[in-house]
Amino acid sequence: MIEVTDVWKSYRSGDQSVDALRGITCRIAKGRCAFIVGPSGSGKSTLLYLMGALDRPTSGSIHIEGQDLTLMAEAEQDAYRRHKVGFIYQSFNLIGNLSAIDNVLISYIPRGLTAELKLKAADLLTEVGLGDRLNHRPHQMSGGEQQRVAIARALIKDPVLVLADEPTGELDSKTGDEIYRILRKLQVQHQSTLVVVTHDRRFITPDDLVLEIQDGHLLDQDAHQQRDELSRAAHH
Amino acid sequence: MWNFAWRNLLTRPLRTVLALTGLSIPILGVLGLFSLSGGLRNLVGDTLSQIQGVMVLRENAPSPVFSSLDESLAKDLWNIPGISAVAPEVWGIAPPIEDSSFITKVAKGILSGSREQRFQSILDAIVVQGQDIDGHTGLKGAIYPRKILPASEGGGRFLNPSDKGKDHVVISTKIANDFPVTENGKERPRRVGDTINVGNNPFTVIGIYNTGSMFLDVVLVMDIEPARKVLNFKPGTVSSIYVEAKDPGQMEQMASAIEAKFPGIDARSMEEFASNFGRILGQLDTFLMMIMSLAVLVGVVGIINTMLMSTTERFAEFGVLRTNGWSKTNVLTLVTTESVYLGLLAGVLGCLLAIAGTTIGNQFVSGGLQLHITPKLLAMGLGLSVVMGTLGGLYPAWRAARLVPMDAIRLGGH
Repeated sequence: MIEVTDVWKSYRSGDQSVDALRGITCRIAKGRCAFIVGPSGSGKSTLLYLMGALDRPTSGSIHIEGQDLTLMAEAEQDAYRRHKVGFIYQSFNLIGNLSAIDNVLISYIPRGLTAELKLKAADLLTEVGLGDRLNHRPHQMSGGEQQRVAIARALIKDPVLVLADEPTGELDSKTGDEIYRILRKLQVQHQSTLVVVTHDRRFITPDDLVLEIQDGHLLDQDAHQQRDELSRAAHH
Repeated sequence: MWNFAWRNLLTRPLRTVLALTGLSIPILGVLGLFSLSGGLRNLVGDTLSQIQGVMVLRENAPSPVFSSLDESLAKDLWNIPGISAVAPEVWGIAPPIEDSSFITKVAKGILSGSREQRFQSILDAIVVQGQDIDGHTGLKGAIYPRKILPASEGGGRFLNPSDKGKDHVVISTKIANDFPVTENGKERPRRVGDTINVGNNPFTVIGIYNTGSMFLDVVLVMDIEPARKVLNFKPGTVSSIYVEAKDPGQMEQMASAIEAKFPGIDARSMEEFASNFGRILGQLDTFLMMIMSLAVLVGVVGIINTMLMSTTERFAEFGVLRTNGWSKTNVLTLVTTESVYLGLLAGVLGCLLAIAGTTIGNQFVSGGLQLHITPKLLAMGLGLSVVMGTLGGLYPAWRAARLVPMDAIRLGGH
């Protein structure tokens, strides 16, 4: 369960304070797929990154499986990102001088790579259809292939939460469909909660939770919550 | 981590190569200068080790060329117990040899000589040594008589009592080569039996020596009287008196006894000369350390610049690493490791260049000066480069590590 409670996030822009998020409250049940939608600059990505402990909210709390991210020390947040959360970006963000398999294993490089981890990474890449491209560098792969490597990178740690920021934003529609198909399949397999920021609503299914944000507010917050309860009941 | 850092350097090969080139130059410069200092130290040590006696000079005179003593002191020195030989000498910078002064010779050498001559001509200043032949005959450790070339090489002979008052001179192989004779339109080195003009005085070459030391092979050795004439030396005076002890182990005690008995006189053993020269070289080393500090500073600034460029371009990458659980310390270690690799590579390159440079340089210097890059110097060069790498990497690494992951990804343009 992800519980976001009255989260505010403000930035300094010159002399002014800009509120990117204004009291967001929502809950996402474990194993669900949630879409955060809204216009550009509405605060979607900010909410996503706060769930990933990439920054701290100005106020409010974010609980993931009972742990309050906002109260975690920096080392605990590092460990949380290392073990419990996987990120997928619009621009793939693979490391250019590492092979596909090393990109998948990036979380483990500082602590050393084991044969077991390498096998797991190879299996994951095979699962996303890149079994024959383990040692290819990002520049040797298409956008769709790179995003599949990014999915494998996000899932190798068996995360409780997968956060995806416009994962198909730089892909054509056919490749985008393929990416969503893989993402959803693996999310179910790994029993992760998936939160996706997107402009493209065609990937949203009736079972999905939709969080619509505008100007830092969650629109129709109560209605969303009720729909989520109903949806969750149907889901189970 | 180490492998990842290494690959990051190889990702931008042109920048890495340019940075390495820039960073290796200070290392090359420092090693080159220290090898020169070491070469000089070795040469002086080798030269002085060939001379066993004590040099008596006017107090505080830096060398015999700048000293003047009353000749009667030689007789008084015999009163010091343990003395086996007393040999008065006059020393002075030679007047123009074959109408070629030191300054014109340097200019000529630089403008028209071979590369070796160009370098060497700067180091050459011909010196006249006039020996009291009777006094010198009793010396056991005199170097020039021992270094006369064999007869088969046209060495001739050293001065003996038959040369007293005569314009006879013993020259070095180097002087023989530097002042050749033109015969049938061709130049050849001066030989025994040739004459050589010292100032306006023609001297007959009676012997040729070769010590192999650039400090000793610049001396025209002759009897004391013609030397006084050539150098316009006042009669009854000498520059210095070379003294030997019966027991070579008692040189220091003998020197102390001379100084105690004759105020205003310095009696310097060769160890003392070596020590004085060592002090000068010590000052040179201090100067070199200052240059080295400057070189390190330049190197550190170079590495900071390179690594700052590199880290600024890689904000998104650091963001991705942080989102995948890398701690600030991990990022700091990664960037610092890259800069240490850069420094170390620059050190290796600088050391290789220094080895190559000194090997080539040794082809252009003679007179016993040899530039050596010792293992100690190599270790210093590499150590220096690692220090440069570490110091130069810390600030860019800290800057990369302190980025908030979300900001890093956004600043990286994603």
